Amino acid sequence: MINAVIADDEVLARHKLRQLLREETEFEIVGESATAAETIDLVRLTKPDLLFLDIRMPGMDGFDIVGALSADPDFVLPRIIFTTAYDRYAIRAFEIHAVDYLLKPFTAERLRSAVERAREQIQTSAQTPSANGSADAADSPYTKRIVFKSRGRILFLHVSDIRWIGAEENYVRISTESESHLLRETMTRLEEKLDPQMFLRVHRSSIVNLQYVKEVRTEKDGEFAVLLANGQKIAMSRSYRSRIQGWLQR
Amino acid sequence: MHPAIFVGGFVFLGALFGLQNWITEHTWGYKVNLALLLRAWTVQYFIWGVMCWLVWFWLGRAIQDAGVKWMLTRLIPLSAIVSLGEEMIWALCFPHMPAGMHLTYWQRMLFELDGEIIDNFLIFWLVIFLFRGVDYYQRYREKEGAAAQLSVQLAQAQIRALRMQLNPHFLFNTMNSISSMMRINVPAADLMLEQLSSLLRITLERGETQLISLSDEMEFMEMYLALQDRRFSGRVRQEVHVDPALHDALVPAMLFQPLVENAYSHGLSRLDRDGVLTLEVGRERGRLKVVIANSGIGLNPARRKDGQGTGVGIANVKNRLRLHYGAQQSFSMYEAGANKVQVTITFPLQFSANPTPTLTGYGA
Repeated sequence: MINAVIADDEVLARHKLRQLLREETEFEIVGESATAAETIDLVRLTKPDLLFLDIRMPGMDGFDIVGALSADPDFVLPRIIFTTAYDRYAIRAFEIHAVDYLLKPFTAERLRSAVERAREQIQTSAQTPSANGSADAADSPYTKRIVFKSRGRILFLHVSDIRWIGAEENYVRISTESESHLLRETMTRLEEKLDPQMFLRVHRSSIVNLQYVKEVRTEKDGEFAVLLANGQKIAMSRSYRSRIQGWLQR
Repeated sequence: MHPAIFVGGFVFLGALFGLQNWITEHTWGYKVNLALLLRAWTVQYFIWGVMCWLVWFWLGRAIQDAGVKWMLTRLIPLSAIVSLGEEMIWALCFPHMPAGMHLTYWQRMLFELDGEIIDNFLIFWLVIFLFRGVDYYQRYREKEGAAAQLSVQLAQAQIRALRMQLNPHFLFNTMNSISSMMRINVPAADLMLEQLSSLLRITLERGETQLISLSDEMEFMEMYLALQDRRFSGRVRQEVHVDPALHDALVPAMLFQPLVENAYSHGLSRLDRDGVLTLEVGRERGRLKVVIANSGIGLNPARRKDGQGTGVGIANVKNRLRLHYGAQQSFSMYEAGANKVQVTITFPLQFSANPTPTLTGYGA
C-alpha cells in the first residue's frame, strides 16, 4: 500500500492528480496541501511514502520544503515526484534523487509510469531498509539514471531502459523501447558512465545493453552483427567481437 | 592622419618638383647642381608640410565645417601669413640663394616672395580644399555604412515578422484538432495537448533566435510530425533522414514546418491511406540541401482547388530564405513523379561556432 500526499497551490491541478490516481490500486491519497507550510505539517504528520510536489508555491518553493523536511535527521523523507510547469529545476530535482519530474500538462500515461517507478523504489527500500535513496547509489561508480531534455520533456531515464546507443558525429543517439533521443555527448564519456556489466561497446560507434542482446551473428560477407531482442541488427567490429563472445559464454 | 605621412607626402612632392626642375635646366643646356636643387625644393615643401599639418591640427575641424564668411574673413589673412612665413623660414635656411648676389636677409626674402607668392597662395588653397574633400568623403562613407546597417535591421525586422506569422497559424489549427479530439477520444486529446505544450515550450525557449542548429530544428520537427501523425492517425507514413554530420549545421528556425504543413494540407490530406511524407537533410557540394516530398494529388489540382494555391506558408519560407541568404539560396517546388510533389531548398552550409550544450546529468 502506498500513501501519498499531493501538494499544489492550484485546486484544479490537485483535482487532476486525484482523478488520475484513482485508477491506481494499492494506492491512497492521505492528504492534500496548498501552501509550503501546510505541506511540511501534513508530511510530518502523515509520513507518506510518496509526495507529489509543485515547485512554485506560496511561501517557499518545493526545494525549500524538501530542505525543511530533511532538517530532522530522524525523519524518513518520502519519495518525491515533482509536478511543475518549469523545466529549469530538473537538474536540481534529479540531484536530490526525485523519482520523476512531470512537466505540466502531463498525460495519464506519463503519470502512471512515474508512479510505477515510485512503487518499485518504495518496495525495494522496504526489502532492504538500510538502502534509502542515495545510500545505494553511492556504492556504484556507474550512473543509474540520466537526466536530459528531449522534445520539450524532461526525462529521468533509467539506464536499464536503454536498448542501444549509436554515435552521430558530436552527438549520441540513445534508443529505448519506443523512442530515440539525441544528446550532445561523446561515446567515450558515456561509456565511462555506464556499468560494463550491463553495457558493451561493440563498435566504434555503438554500445548495446546486454540485457536486450539476443544473439551474435556472422553475416554472409564475414562481418559480425549483434541482434537485439526486438529484431534490430547492430554492426559489430572484429576487434570488439572477442569481448561479446566472452560475455555470451559466461 | 599621421604627421609623418602628411609631411612625407609634401617632401616627396618637393623632390619631384626638384627633379623636374633639374631635367628642364639640363635639357636647355644649363649646368645645375642636382643635390642643391633637390635640397632647396624638398626643404621648401617640408616647411609647407609642417605648416599645413599645424593648420590641420589646430583648424582642421573648423575648416571642414566653415561657411563662406568664415573662409573669407579667417582664411584669406591666414593664407597671407602662411605664404609669408614659409618664405621667411626658407630664406633663413638658404643664406647663399640666390647664388652670386650679395643680398641682406630681407632682400633675399622679398626676392623669393616676389617669385612665388602666387604659387604659395595656390598651394595653401589647394590644401584647404583637400581638407574639405577628405571630410566630404568621410561623411559619404558614414552615410553609406548607416544605410547598409539600416537595411540589415529592416531585413531582421521582416524576418521576425514572418516568423511571428507562423506560430498562431499552426497553434490554432492544432488547438482546433484537440478541441474536436476531446469529444471522441479523451486520452488522445490529452496526449496532443501535452505534445503541443512541449512544442510551445521549445518555441518560447528559443525566443527570437533566427538561426538554430539542425538538431534543434529537427527536434521541433519530430514533435510536430508526431502531432501530425496523431491527427492523420496512420494514414501517412513519415520517412525522415538527416545526415548525422549536419546536426550542428545552422538553419533558419521554423523553416521546415510550413513546408511539411503544406504537404499535409494540400496533398496528404486528400488521401485516405498510404500517404508518404519524406523529409531529408543532406549535404550537396558544400551546401545544405533539404528535400520535402509528399504523395497526394500533384501540383495543379491542388492549386485549382485552393484558388490561390500555395498561400502564406510557402511565400513566407521563400522570403525568409531570401532575407537570410540573398542570392545564395534556391527554392523549387515541382512534381517529382506521378502525384508526387517535392520541395527542394539549398543554402550555404554554416556551422554554429559554439553549439549550446544540452542539459544532461548523470547519477542515481
